[in-house]
Amino acid sequence: MHSEAAIREPLILGHKTYHDITSDIVSPIENKAPRGWYILFTIAALIAAYGTGCILYLISKGIGVWGLNKTVDWAWDITNFVWWVGIGHAGTLISAVLLLFRQKWRMAINRSAEAMTIFAVIMAATFPGIHMGRIWMAYWVFPLPNQFGSLWVNFNSPLLWDVFAISTYFSVSLVFWYIGLIPDFATIRDRVTKPGMKKMYSLLSFGWTGNAKAWTRFEEVSLVLAGIATPLVFSVHSVVSMDFATSIIPGWHTTIFPPYFVSGAVFSGFAMVQTLLLIMRKVMKLESYITIKHIEYMNIVIIVTGSIVGVAYITELFISWYSGVEYESYAFINRATGPYWWAYWSMMTCNVISPQLFWVRSWRRHLGFTFFMSIIVNIGMWFERFVIIVTSLHRDYLPSSWNMFHPTWVDVGVFLGTIGIFFTLYLLFARFFPVLALNEVKSILKTSGESYKKQAADHSHH
Amino acid sequence: MSSTKRYWKDLGELHQQPEAIKGRENEFPQDLAIDQVLGDASFNGASTGRRDFLKFLGFGLGAATLAACETPVIKSIPYVNKPEDITPGVANWYASTFYDGEDFASILVKTREGRPIHIKGNPRFGLNRNPALPKGSINARINSSVLSLYDNERLHGPMKKGAEGMAASTWAEADKSIAAGLDAAAGKRMVVLTGTLASPSSAAALEQLKAKYPTLELVQYDTISYSGVTNANLKSFGKRVFPSYDLTKADVVVSVDADFLSSWGNTTESTWQYASRRQPGKGMNRHFQFEARMSLSGANADVRVPLKVSELPKAVMALHAHISGSGSGADAAMMKATESAAKALMASKGRSVVVAGSNNEGVQVLVNSINSILGNYGSTIDIDRPSTLHQGNDAEVARLVEGMNSGAVGALLIAGVNPAYSLPNADQFKAGLAKVPLTVSFSGYADETASLCGWICPDNHYLESWNDFMPKAGHYTLGQPVISPLFDTRQWQESLLRWSGSSVAYYDLIRSTWQQGMAQYGGLAEMFTNTWNQAVHDGVYEPAGIPAGVNTAVFAADVSAATAMATASTTGAGEFELALYTTEAIGSGRHANNPWLQEMPDPLTKITWDNYVCMAPADIERMGLNMYLGEQAPASLVTVKAGEREITLPVVPTPGQRTGTVAIALGYGRGANGEKVGRAACTTDHIGDFVPVGKNAYPMTSWVNGAVGYEALNVTVTATGDTYPVAITQTHLTDMDRHSVVKETNLATFLTGDKKAYNHAHELGVHEDVNGDGVINALDKKPVAEFDLWEEHPVEGVGHRWGLSIDLNGCIGCGACITACNSENNISVVGKDEVRRSREMHWLRLDRYYSSATTKESAKEDGLGKIDMYLKMEVPEESPTVVFMPVMCQHCNHAPCETVCPVAATTHSNEGLNQMTYNRCIGTRYCANNCPYKVRRFNWFNYVSEKFGEVNPAWDDLGRMVLNPDVTVRSRGVIEKCSMCVQSIQAGKLAAKKAGTPVQDGAIETACSSACGTGAIVFGDLNDKKSKVLGLATSDRSYHMLEEIGVKPNVNYLVKVRNTEEAAAHHA
Repeated sequence: MHSEAAIREPLILGHKTYHDITSDIVSPIENKAPRGWYILFTIAALIAAYGTGCILYLISKGIGVWGLNKTVDWAWDITNFVWWVGIGHAGTLISAVLLLFRQKWRMAINRSAEAMTIFAVIMAATFPGIHMGRIWMAYWVFPLPNQFGSLWVNFNSPLLWDVFAISTYFSVSLVFWYIGLIPDFATIRDRVTKPGMKKMYSLLSFGWTGNAKAWTRFEEVSLVLAGIATPLVFSVHSVVSMDFATSIIPGWHTTIFPPYFVSGAVFSGFAMVQTLLLIMRKVMKLESYITIKHIEYMNIVIIVTGSIVGVAYITELFISWYSGVEYESYAFINRATGPYWWAYWSMMTCNVISPQLFWVRSWRRHLGFTFFMSIIVNIGMWFERFVIIVTSLHRDYLPSSWNMFHPTWVDVGVFLGTIGIFFTLYLLFARFFPVLALNEVKSILKTSGESYKKQAADHSHH
Repeated sequence: MSSTKRYWKDLGELHQQPEAIKGRENEFPQDLAIDQVLGDASFNGASTGRRDFLKFLGFGLGAATLAACETPVIKSIPYVNKPEDITPGVANWYASTFYDGEDFASILVKTREGRPIHIKGNPRFGLNRNPALPKGSINARINSSVLSLYDNERLHGPMKKGAEGMAASTWAEADKSIAAGLDAAAGKRMVVLTGTLASPSSAAALEQLKAKYPTLELVQYDTISYSGVTNANLKSFGKRVFPSYDLTKADVVVSVDADFLSSWGNTTESTWQYASRRQPGKGMNRHFQFEARMSLSGANADVRVPLKVSELPKAVMALHAHISGSGSGADAAMMKATESAAKALMASKGRSVVVAGSNNEGVQVLVNSINSILGNYGSTIDIDRPSTLHQGNDAEVARLVEGMNSGAVGALLIAGVNPAYSLPNADQFKAGLAKVPLTVSFSGYADETASLCGWICPDNHYLESWNDFMPKAGHYTLGQPVISPLFDTRQWQESLLRWSGSSVAYYDLIRSTWQQGMAQYGGLAEMFTNTWNQAVHDGVYEPAGIPAGVNTAVFAADVSAATAMATASTTGAGEFELALYTTEAIGSGRHANNPWLQEMPDPLTKITWDNYVCMAPADIERMGLNMYLGEQAPASLVTVKAGEREITLPVVPTPGQRTGTVAIALGYGRGANGEKVGRAACTTDHIGDFVPVGKNAYPMTSWVNGAVGYEALNVTVTATGDTYPVAITQTHLTDMDRHSVVKETNLATFLTGDKKAYNHAHELGVHEDVNGDGVINALDKKPVAEFDLWEEHPVEGVGHRWGLSIDLNGCIGCGACITACNSENNISVVGKDEVRRSREMHWLRLDRYYSSATTKESAKEDGLGKIDMYLKMEVPEESPTVVFMPVMCQHCNHAPCETVCPVAATTHSNEGLNQMTYNRCIGTRYCANNCPYKVRRFNWFNYVSEKFGEVNPAWDDLGRMVLNPDVTVRSRGVIEKCSMCVQSIQAGKLAAKKAGTPVQDGAIETACSSACGTGAIVFGDLNDKKSKVLGLATSDRSYHMLEEIGVKPNVNYLVKVRNTEEAAAHHA
């Protein structure tokens, strides 16, 4: 067994036994949900229902119910798309990249982060669908054999790359997440007594027996999937960024976009993980497993990625001046001083200045502050996409076409709706699925558990 | 005894060969298909039971029955005998004439299967024909008039006023009742009130009625009055006429408030004449414009001097003083303002023209005097063969209104005019109308005047009518019907003939009038049928042997009296002065019910579906009113008050407007009292209620010296504090000094012949020694055209490569191309609210840029930072110059839209066209985002149905007849854009193929190029070495918009050249 340096902070607090871990994680599923869950679920479901109504209205009337116009043909739709895809990235980064790097602290958070990824990607994928003028023809974006002659998709189009990127990402994430869930489902199956629940978790656990062979395979498969998922962390948002980078619109046509988008994605993803976990650890009493140290680690990731994003913003500004391209230079001056200056400066404040506050140790270990910052970062990242999309489009080459974009209630409703659907799904997850990878957490109990570390320290003293 | 005989079929059987034996066992030598099926082992276990059989039977019967019920019945009735000249799928073009009292044009009407669907200028005959191109010049009102034919709100039959308003009647009843009414009125004054007739046969029809009722008289009333001009000519030359002008001979054009490119005089003639002298070179004319409002003419002028309305007569006096050399009493400031214009005029005696827009007789006499001194009569102005298009006499109209009120008028027949809407004293007219025993309107709609008359005997639409015109002595045109009357209407001349007791049809009257007329020119009677047929075919008849005008007219008016009269219009003491004008789209208001026109953006303000108060930005700022207008930025409402008259309208900042003046367009606010004046005369506001389009500004006109005056000098403007949303298609005013968008220069620079000085190609630095100076440095550059990131589309030099060349000098901004494109390509009208959201569907737009005082160079000189520079560049200068730039899809050979479509719905043709496949489009709009020219339009809604049908006659069953069957009507959720009229290209190629010749240059025209009478838009094959378009594309002035981004468009622009005296060009 690994032994861990005593100076490392424990990752599981208190005197936990294996059984404690199991019951801590599984009991919320077995028992009646707390009142808070019902309240939250009702709110989320209502917002989700309203959003679904807005989407149906959109599909029945036409894209004109949004505020788009001849100059700004994308606005909140693609902003939301990129925002949700970005949020998804943290889950994959935590589960795959940190697995490969053997970061044990990931074990407490990877399950819910991955769930967040799945749900965020579902929300993201909604937007390219509903933003189409003719959603009923959406299947044409897949390279399917057809009867239209030799009609094929356009492999030059970044939107098509998006289709491949997002669908690959979604399938790999889903499989990875589910494989991880199997042993935990089996644990639940073995504990629950209600016949219906037993039946459900039996099915979900795919007949897991827990023998050594199964565990070996489980470990191997996890490693292989982590290997497959890792490049996706970088490729998906790179591909999304190419929607803009390969175009000719000043402010979009920027080679810096792929790394800039990926770090921005991780940045916003971690912020969303913080938002969710800070609530969950409180509500589900998981303070022993999701410790201040976990929060701090994630805040450090936020500082690093936030700084990369900040550097990217400044590089963009520099290049717009250094290139000497009239349109490019105007696009950035317009971002900062034009009619959408408030969006630009919201983005700058939220994404560049605010994460730097985490350099202060006590702040990055402060739960309330972290929660507040996680919201700020997500607002900032939404504005980043809005700034890129709308302020680049609204004043491009020909001043004759310059225009403003004004959202309608449907724009707002659809966006809120996806947040509602996301939280509905997440709350269902929290209610019926083990929110921590309990069998994985058990694996680090003896090395990183507080009481065991103390014991080990005591032993070494003797 | 048993028989041993053996019977055999063939030798094989006889000899007992094994094959034969085998064959005998098998009766059918080949396996039947059914055996294979039944032999399938898998069927062995299957059983179709009785129940199953009944189920299948029941289902089969049910399905067949249901399918039979739903079969749609499509009534398609073929010709039993195909008409000789109608081939389904092939268009027929008929020559005709458009004249509505305002615009005159010889036109060609395109009909498909008997339906008129498109109108263009007659390229072979007519006053509006530009012989150099050749092309017929028209404006937006003319080519849009085809849509009004299909307006379902036109009256479907005669109407009679009853106790409960207008009720449908019959022609028999109408004829009987009106004849009785006329008989009853016999002896009293009987008046036929029309617009300018200019029609010999209409006059003949009137004569017939007059023969029966000798007290009948004709009063001609021009909605926009030229009485001041005609009266001045009466005083000056003894003829009450409107002269005809020949701007092709004018080296210098000086206009004082006459918008001759848009509304003043015969614009279809003056536009092409003017444009023919705008080609940069030695022969380029110089145009001075003095005006208060920035008009289309002012926007095209080389020198534009903004003056107050009250200063305009003074400017004419000052010009007169300069020219006549007697400077007594002239305003010193005006003397200075007009100095350069006077100098230019003096240098071009006999080769210049001065026009004034004022309806003040005194001003016009002074103008006549100036032209007379300059010797322009006989060269640029023809008074002996005058235009007959403006014969209205305001004094007679005033006398008529008096007579109506005093009860002297016994019968009033009104044709083609709407005085209850457009007279300054409309209330008096309405009061008088009630006192006339017999009132008959010939209006096609129950409009403001007609709805007050006793009878409406609806006239045919002009496309359903025979008619003739004489727009000028010795020039005759024919209007021929291109469709049978859609409704139970009757041409008004026909009605006159019926009531006169004559049994002659109007068509026969026209023929006999022409026969008599031709005899006068020495035509042989027996040749008449040939001549007539030729005239019908051509639309125009110009008898040979008519001597050109000799211009013996001698100016003989009292100049000092005229000066005194003009001075009366110079006493502006108010805070503001008001000028009333007509817009390019709506004109006098006759066509306010035409949605294509309502949705055509004003060339300068870019506002649709409204009239408004034009005000100088400085005044707006001073009054604290809304300067920036947009989707969510409504205009401030102001009340403009002149004496007792007032009007409340939104106020719009219009750069170039003289401070202290405001301007309001006439022709709006039709149907304000619920009159049915046409489907598009009302629109829905931002909350969906029906409202009239704009407000009627005619009540702001007034009687001045017996003529209608279109100005008010003591005006107050007060903000109401409310706002009003306006639908504006271009919210930004300037071009931000972007040289690769608009290039312009002055004539002097152009004449140096140094292309680099005015049309410098964009260059990129390369790492090779281009200039041969031995070092590789920043000076080594290559033109951007030599770089290519991608593989070229194989279109250069292979087959056809279609392209357009657009001359920024030729484009005067009239907008006829926009409506022509609407008509040809079935472009949806989306209504005010959608335009407000910047969702107009126009495939072709007219970008308008005002100049700014701040340029990149000036900012450098002034030491301005970039942020300040850009902020200042957004603001036009106080008296800006204007550029009009028609922009349609540029058909890039490296089209950014083509690469980004995920489903390949937009692709490149091997003829250089960027094609849009509507059926394949899924509506991601990525192409529209990635279009640097922003020419792609998205169908945000199902524009074909729902609320858009309410403002657009084209979307009801009748209106759909105007659709061009060669062009798909686009559905919701797809992108559309300019196709370069691919349907015309295809038709032209087929025609050439049938003829066995290559496609001839000029044989194919796009809708925009054929509508452009000034020849600014030229279409052709860039691979045709001899084509005109290639010549233009390779000329020194040619450039590609946004050349440096390397999209390689097939559309090029020609640098705008102004004939100014400035040494340095604005955009060097």
